[in-house]
Amino acid sequence: MLEDQDMSVQEAAAVVQDARARARKELVISTPLVYMAWGLVWLIGYGAMWLSVRGQHPYTGPSGVSIAAVFVLAGFAIAAVLVIASEAAAGIDGQSVRQRRIIGSTWAIGYLILLITAPAVSSSVSARTLALISFAGPVVLAGLTYILAAALGRYRPALALGAWLVIVGTSCAWLAPATILATCALAGGGALLLMAVIETRLRAHDS
Amino acid sequence: MTAETELDPVIHAPARLRVVVTLATLRDGDNLSFTRLQELLGLTPGNLITHLRKLEDAGYVTTVKSGSGVASRTSVSLSPQGRKALDNYTAVLRQLLDSASTNGTSPQ
Repeated sequence: MLEDQDMSVQEAAAVVQDARARARKELVISTPLVYMAWGLVWLIGYGAMWLSVRGQHPYTGPSGVSIAAVFVLAGFAIAAVLVIASEAAAGIDGQSVRQRRIIGSTWAIGYLILLITAPAVSSSVSARTLALISFAGPVVLAGLTYILAAALGRYRPALALGAWLVIVGTSCAWLAPATILATCALAGGGALLLMAVIETRLRAHDS
Repeated sequence: MTAETELDPVIHAPARLRVVVTLATLRDGDNLSFTRLQELLGLTPGNLITHLRKLEDAGYVTTVKSGSGVASRTSVSLSPQGRKALDNYTAVLRQLLDSASTNGTSPQ
């Protein structure tokens, strides 16, 4: 049988390298792409909202167009992440699938709570508090989700990213609304984009 | 304890080596469907079954059938013993390649 033929050591090494590269490409979720997608959403989305409030006196909040742009970008990012994850996870079952469901559900429920809470409290809290809930809330939530992912043993480098995002989001409590948006765009989106670069290098090093 | 110097004959066949390396990419506690494994390796079902049986006899992989009819699913996973065997195999492979490059010979 062809598959039982003898192999030289070099041929065996080539088979190992080729099979490992193929399996990683096909079966492992491309986390750099996920980080990049969300990094761009945050950088462009928060950046657009910041541009729309820059120079507002008094602060009245981001323009409707910039908020709509954020939802459209986030929709694309969610769709992209779902496609990337479902393609890589096809045929795989077991512990990691259950962990991914826990992580995804935690994030989705958290976002839903923020989406419901922000409009509900908008008339009874100050513009600064509303900005904190609406803009820094998602950053803290994402940070906590990455920490959960790291705790469940999935993406270990995510622990540092999660901790950083929680710090960034929490530090917004001392900032003005416009500065919150700029901070989330640069320190939040920038961190995600940096993580995409780090993950790409880690993966290249492992292969 | 002596270091192993021979390549494990159960793994040292192109198709079985690819099966083991592919399954080793999965996280502990995960399994892969027979269909996806077959698709990834480009083997016929009969051929893959033959190789999986050899690996299963050696205790390197575990296959589990679940469901029935069109909903049936055969899942394949690497056992801890299989993971250890692959680690040993790649260590020996590295040794042989290193000694060949040191001696300037071509190992077979």
